[in-house]
Amino acid sequence: MSRQTYLSLAGAGARLPIGTHLLLHAHPDPEAIVLDGRRLGGVIVEAAERFRTSLAVPLMDLALEKEALLLACGLPASQVDGHHFSAPPDIPDEIPLTPRMRAACGALAEVACRPGLVPIGMAIGPFSLMTKLVCDPITPVYVAGTGVTADEDCEVALVEQLLASGERAIHRYLKAQIGAGARAIMICEPAANMVYFSPKQLAVDARVFERFVMEPMRRIAGLLAEHQVDLIFHDCGELTDDMVRRFSTLGAAVLSFGSSRRLWEDARLVPSDTVLYGNLPTKRFYADQFTVAEVERLARELMARMGATGHPFILGSECDVLSVPGKEREILSKVDAFMNCPGASCAC
Amino acid sequence: MTTLEQLYQAVIDGKNKDARALAQRALDEGANPGDIVDKALVPAMAAVGERFKSNEIFVPEMLVAARAMKEAMGVLEPRLVAAGITPKYTALIGTVQGDLHDIGKNLVAVMWRGSNFRVIDLGSNVPATKFVSAINEHRPHLVGLSALLTTTMPAMVETVRAIRSAGCPPVKIMVGGAPISQQFADEVGADGFAPDAASAAEKARALVESA
Repeated sequence: MSRQTYLSLAGAGARLPIGTHLLLHAHPDPEAIVLDGRRLGGVIVEAAERFRTSLAVPLMDLALEKEALLLACGLPASQVDGHHFSAPPDIPDEIPLTPRMRAACGALAEVACRPGLVPIGMAIGPFSLMTKLVCDPITPVYVAGTGVTADEDCEVALVEQLLASGERAIHRYLKAQIGAGARAIMICEPAANMVYFSPKQLAVDARVFERFVMEPMRRIAGLLAEHQVDLIFHDCGELTDDMVRRFSTLGAAVLSFGSSRRLWEDARLVPSDTVLYGNLPTKRFYADQFTVAEVERLARELMARMGATGHPFILGSECDVLSVPGKEREILSKVDAFMNCPGASCAC
Repeated sequence: MTTLEQLYQAVIDGKNKDARALAQRALDEGANPGDIVDKALVPAMAAVGERFKSNEIFVPEMLVAARAMKEAMGVLEPRLVAAGITPKYTALIGTVQGDLHDIGKNLVAVMWRGSNFRVIDLGSNVPATKFVSAINEHRPHLVGLSALLTTTMPAMVETVRAIRSAGCPPVKIMVGGAPISQQFADEVGADGFAPDAASAAEKARALVESA
């Protein structure tokens, strides 16, 4: 793949939501579909067609890697959601793919057979995965940032071990997705943000952010580059400018940030051949007070501002747009509002 | 600087080992354990809350301060229990059903403990029925409901309704979380709302003291 694909899409004024969840839940049996690669692939194709895009974006299910890791440790499936490690676990070298991961790979293979579509994979980032594995990830990471080592503090040792184990699980899944035909992979690091890292601490010394976020991400970027698979980096958390600058060094073809960022200002912080994506506050689409008219207004404003920067931009959602029972139509109408509203295309 | 002043500063700075040692030193010097809590730990956490509200510090600094306070409390608690001194107010807290996020809820629990509440943390993804049974069991003065996802706001509505209609002992209800607003709190019949953890501590005290 080449980043030219995304630049061309941006130049043509492409728009797309991360909206496969909406289409999946329009089916009567979503739980069965996510375990069936062929059918899941069909839903991803359906979403790409529904939203008139060549980018076949899968479900943003960021619980898969935690499930794989905990099942590999012998935990029963019923305990996976709420489990947190309080002591270093005995994690086997080989972390098998779960049935849902195998279905996601099957879906990629299915999409890869469809001409004109770009099969996109999905994975959580190593830091965000680690934060799901312990009750309080913030304190030990901060303490590590003060120079305390794993030898001196058992909580620091725990988060370091889980970060490394999580990274292994992610690499295993990424390789499987690449093998299944992914031509780009979206890595989601929503926890690499101002809640988990103190801007005050990072202003003095950002090595903790490098160690816990950037170094694992660089290894992932290297793995993808080795296989000519494009990196789409997603972080919808609240970020500092410095965090954005660091993410910009990953060589991502696309950077996707949350609505707390002013993308038109971020355009100055990222390379000119990196497409900025998304940013509409889709997490507010579930609220009645956030109207279709407001979505259109924000979409037009964002397109105009990004057009003025000349930076390549694809309008879309700040995160995945979820289907909520009883609100399906309302949410879809808001997605359609930004997909269809008139507005200046990006002049790049 | 007196020992209590040093303890106050150690908590603010998140120096947990110093906080523990200073709490022990204060006891050794003959300080009343209740006074150590009231004159050093509670004011320290109040100062932490103020700094958080004014963006001088962020969530991690708040958590390490709470850890330091907890270390000091580890030294003081046996003495407080022996003297029959317990926190005046009890609070229950949990993230509503369907929502697995707990950072915000944990921060509020930290600040409530720092305001000398006894806090019972029900965890995340808590069904309304569990809130009701915990209220009947612990008879708290206050219950806090947290939600991060807009998609779980209906569960908050349901939980408030369940608490109000289940014949529970009288209890003040506070709601909070990223998508929650004062308007929403009013609509669902909650007694209070706070936009951040530090404000949640002030609001909690105001609610229970006005009851």
